[in-house]
Amino acid sequence: MAYQATRNRRIFLLFLLPVIAVLFLTTIYPMLYAGWLSFRNYDLAKPFIPRIFVGWANYAEILSSGTFLHALITTLKLMAMTLSAQLVLGVGIALLVTQRLPGMGVARTLLLIPMMISPVIVGLVWLFLYFPELGYLNYFLSLVGLSGIGWITTTNWALWAIAIADIWQWTPFIMMGTAAALHSLSPEPYEAAMIDGNSRWDVFWRVTLPQLKPVLISLMFLRAIDAFKIYDIIFVLTKGGPGDSTEVLSMFIYRESFTFWRMGMGAAASFVSLAIITILVTFFFKSLNRDRSAVE
Amino acid sequence: MVKRFNNGIQEEEKMGRIRTLAYATALCMATAGSAMAEKPFEGVELKMLGIGDTSVTRLAPIVGEFEALTGAKVQIDMFPYPGLVDKIIIESSSDSPSYHLLWVDSPWVGMLGEAGALVDLTDLAKRDAAEIKLDDIIPIQLQENTWQGQLLAFPASGMTWLNQYRADLFENAEEQAAFKAKYGYDLAAPTTWDQYRDIAEFFTRKKGENAGGKPLENDLYGVSQSYSRVQGAITHDYFPFMRSFGGDYWDPATGLCAMTGEPHVKAAEYMKSLIPFNPPDYLGLMWDIQSGYMERGEAAQAAYWSVRSVRLTNPAEARLAEIGKAGFAANPTDGGKPEPTYTGALSFAINAKVSDKEKEAAWAFIKWSTSEDLMRRFAKEGNGVSQFRKAILSDPDLQQKYPYYKVLLDSQVNAKRRIFHPFYQDVEETFGVELNKFMAGETATAQEALDTACNAVNSRLKMFPLETRLRWIDDVPAKVLAD
Repeated sequence: MAYQATRNRRIFLLFLLPVIAVLFLTTIYPMLYAGWLSFRNYDLAKPFIPRIFVGWANYAEILSSGTFLHALITTLKLMAMTLSAQLVLGVGIALLVTQRLPGMGVARTLLLIPMMISPVIVGLVWLFLYFPELGYLNYFLSLVGLSGIGWITTTNWALWAIAIADIWQWTPFIMMGTAAALHSLSPEPYEAAMIDGNSRWDVFWRVTLPQLKPVLISLMFLRAIDAFKIYDIIFVLTKGGPGDSTEVLSMFIYRESFTFWRMGMGAAASFVSLAIITILVTFFFKSLNRDRSAVE
Repeated sequence: MVKRFNNGIQEEEKMGRIRTLAYATALCMATAGSAMAEKPFEGVELKMLGIGDTSVTRLAPIVGEFEALTGAKVQIDMFPYPGLVDKIIIESSSDSPSYHLLWVDSPWVGMLGEAGALVDLTDLAKRDAAEIKLDDIIPIQLQENTWQGQLLAFPASGMTWLNQYRADLFENAEEQAAFKAKYGYDLAAPTTWDQYRDIAEFFTRKKGENAGGKPLENDLYGVSQSYSRVQGAITHDYFPFMRSFGGDYWDPATGLCAMTGEPHVKAAEYMKSLIPFNPPDYLGLMWDIQSGYMERGEAAQAAYWSVRSVRLTNPAEARLAEIGKAGFAANPTDGGKPEPTYTGALSFAINAKVSDKEKEAAWAFIKWSTSEDLMRRFAKEGNGVSQFRKAILSDPDLQQKYPYYKVLLDSQVNAKRRIFHPFYQDVEETFGVELNKFMAGETATAQEALDTACNAVNSRLKMFPLETRLRWIDDVPAKVLAD
């Protein structure tokens, strides 16, 4: 019996080892190395700068940097813009496509396409749409007598341009999750609400939405983490400009690491970003647990 | 007996055939061996990391000729300018390099030189001075490629910052009369920045209005300049303005950034004053988009590097060559005061980590690809080149074909090289962001933008001793030019 248990443990370990090895090589070791870098004055382009241990100096410089603070605020602004739109649009479209109407199956499939495209390609598609002289958006505006907009070349519009592209790509994700949740809702509350003579809006607001809340919170949380790390679309469309209107945290980290080649600073900025996401995750799980306790 | 005789004859014929075959084989091997011995770099493979622009694209189709001459195979990988220096930095920080030849923009020599990334070509150039016609190369073009007196790259495309304009509009009698009536002086290629702005204002017109006696099919912009922060494109445009206003990069006493003085502020404010006459997407304009307006005939004038000037005379590359005529002139200055011409060079360098044999092969490639014969051939074939050899630039037939050759030649008599500091990338990026913010209206004043940028650069430079900082700004004369 004991021999069997030991043998089973060995087999489990054998199966686990490749996973652990891959995890170590692709995640744990790079994180440890990045951690080591974050405490050093490491400039890849200038080997004549001594790569010495500098303690918390990199972290202190980042946390006192106006550029970092601006990047963080821009990131939070972009998150608010994209998440709110994705929530409203995603739920609205989900309510539509879950109706028993002809063509809804096809519509559901087509609507999923944007989220299956690589973010870099999404960026390129929208780059062509946003071109000032040759882009389709300004062309359509000209057809209705409106003058073109500098979507990615004016500070007023650039962040909106990024948000629109991101909303276009990821609203289907919210739609898909919400549609799945809608299918699993119990019909009894709806029957009771209908009998009571409630309007459709009341049914949605008082019956559907409360039941969807846990799913929506989970979906929004996942989107929030993604939105916090947004990079590809910004790199393709604006590279943080014009001015610094679209300079988000990921672009800040990119510039420190691969433009200024200050790998130590870039690594430190990455860990600060990780700390912020960890606080968000902790906050999310606490509020989720609070909701569960209230229900119980 | 007859049978034995016949067998003997057959044997003899067989031996004869074997002998003939053996002689033929030996002859082939001897010939091949001899042929192999004539090609000095047989078996050597060179890889070049280059830009997808004329200084490299004209070579890519003909590298087979170099292989036929020397035996060395050459593969050229081409990338766009944004990000190319990053690849070179990664390449030079690697212990096992992939590339033997590196395309280098002259401001990078300080950064790469201080890192020991490039081979010093001084001795090679002096050894082969007659072959490469060293004394025919415009001296500033060699100086552009030096770091602490060492020649770290060889010019493949020498350039100056010059003004290109719509000569057809400038020479139109109606336009001349209207300009004179409005501004009180003759319409001609500007020599001062005030004239440049007057001309920009004069020629900014909407689609449908007249220009040169014909209605415009598209909006015409008085000027197009680079204002984008990507890869510091705005910095590349700002520095020639700054230099022509009399500004310089560094404090000669401290070696720190000094780009916050009156000429620097004036240059930034001047660039901002040109915005109303630029295309509306000015904040996104990079070099190719900026020069594209000129090439399509949608800008009346634009100051940029001469490496793109030749496109304006080629109908296959510029609509302007069909619908109008390009004119070329030296860069204006503040009040017309003489200032040294702002020069640059696009060059070929050798990775310091290659073997001796590969170094010699790479040097042979550089000599071949920048030789006077090949440069003349490119010029005659119409391939876009910005020349750096006096014999070619002063050739009357080629000056007729490429009017900007004379401007290139004359303007480099009094010339000064671009920035070459080891912290060039920091300067390019930091000034790029701050100047872009100022042009976008996010920063209130030019002084504030320049102070922020300079302080950011100086916060990194101050960690170095004074002696090092002063060494970094000292433009030591190229040893290759010393007797």
